[in-house]
Amino acid sequence: MTILNIASIIGLISGIVLMIFGIVFDMGTMSVSFGKIMNFIDIPSILITFGGSFTTLMTMEPSLKTYVEKLASFKLVLQTPAYNDVETIKNIIALSNVARKEGLLALEETANSIEDEFLKKGILLIVDGTDPELVRSILETELSCIEGRHSDTIGFWDKLSAMGPAWGMIGTLIGLVNMLKDLNDPSTIGPNMAVALVTTFYGSVLANWICIPVVNKLKARNAAEIMMKEVIVEGLLSIQAGENPRVIEEKLKSFLNPTNRAEFDVNEGGEVDG
Amino acid sequence: MINITKMNDVNITVNADLIETIEEIPDTVITLTNGKKILVKESRQEVINLVKCYKKELFSRFLKED
Repeated sequence: MTILNIASIIGLISGIVLMIFGIVFDMGTMSVSFGKIMNFIDIPSILITFGGSFTTLMTMEPSLKTYVEKLASFKLVLQTPAYNDVETIKNIIALSNVARKEGLLALEETANSIEDEFLKKGILLIVDGTDPELVRSILETELSCIEGRHSDTIGFWDKLSAMGPAWGMIGTLIGLVNMLKDLNDPSTIGPNMAVALVTTFYGSVLANWICIPVVNKLKARNAAEIMMKEVIVEGLLSIQAGENPRVIEEKLKSFLNPTNRAEFDVNEGGEVDG
Repeated sequence: MINITKMNDVNITVNADLIETIEEIPDTVITLTNGKKILVKESRQEVINLVKCYKKELFSRFLKED
């Protein structure tokens, strides 16, 4: 079940549409001439810039498999993750109510109906009677591994955003060298210079239209996911320490921003006992 | 020292002199003076009884010597 991420899709599409409109629109005559697009299409330049950028990334990656996986991570940007902070905290409070009424062992049944693998793993550790320090260290190890994998993917797009302009520059140099080699006819300077600069244009577009937005989207998503998992770790340890559900709720609410907190208070789920 | 059962059915021996509080929430949690918490299967009353027995055993020697 994946929901499309409207912000990313509108951003990517309108970005390219506005750029093309800027190319074809002429303010003086208030007219649109699509012929201008042809000025920006040059096959050798495409080969140099995109070919160069993507192949150097392939060189950097440990294996072809990880390279393909990281390229495929682009689709994450187009999706909205299914999790929700408020829901997660409510789940944890529901679990703490169960633990408070029926004991920790009763959590095992509840754990089977939970979809979140991380939360499930934590509950099963608690039910097995693992020491709190050990539960924390196991979950935090997993957390740091997740973060490591995320930062690998973010780094991939970050490197691509550096490679785009770099190969654009290389393409421009190639164009200029070729142009200066046979500079018999001064009238060809203009057109040749334009073709040479197109590679820099491609590189900048690749970096600023795709890579940098992807990097920042993935960073934001990583931060949200890590925060949610930290909430889970705190909540689970509080449940294990036998804290009052009301206290756990107050503790976990501090992770939420005011808007979500208000949403949380509208439909209170916590019960008070003990 | 008292012998008790942890949640995962492991028997451990706890230093009874370090027990600070025993709570039933509803599982029994023994908090030690160093802040460590131990979840045990025995009820609160059972733990109290174990401690009492242990102390009795310990101090009964002094009675015999009199």
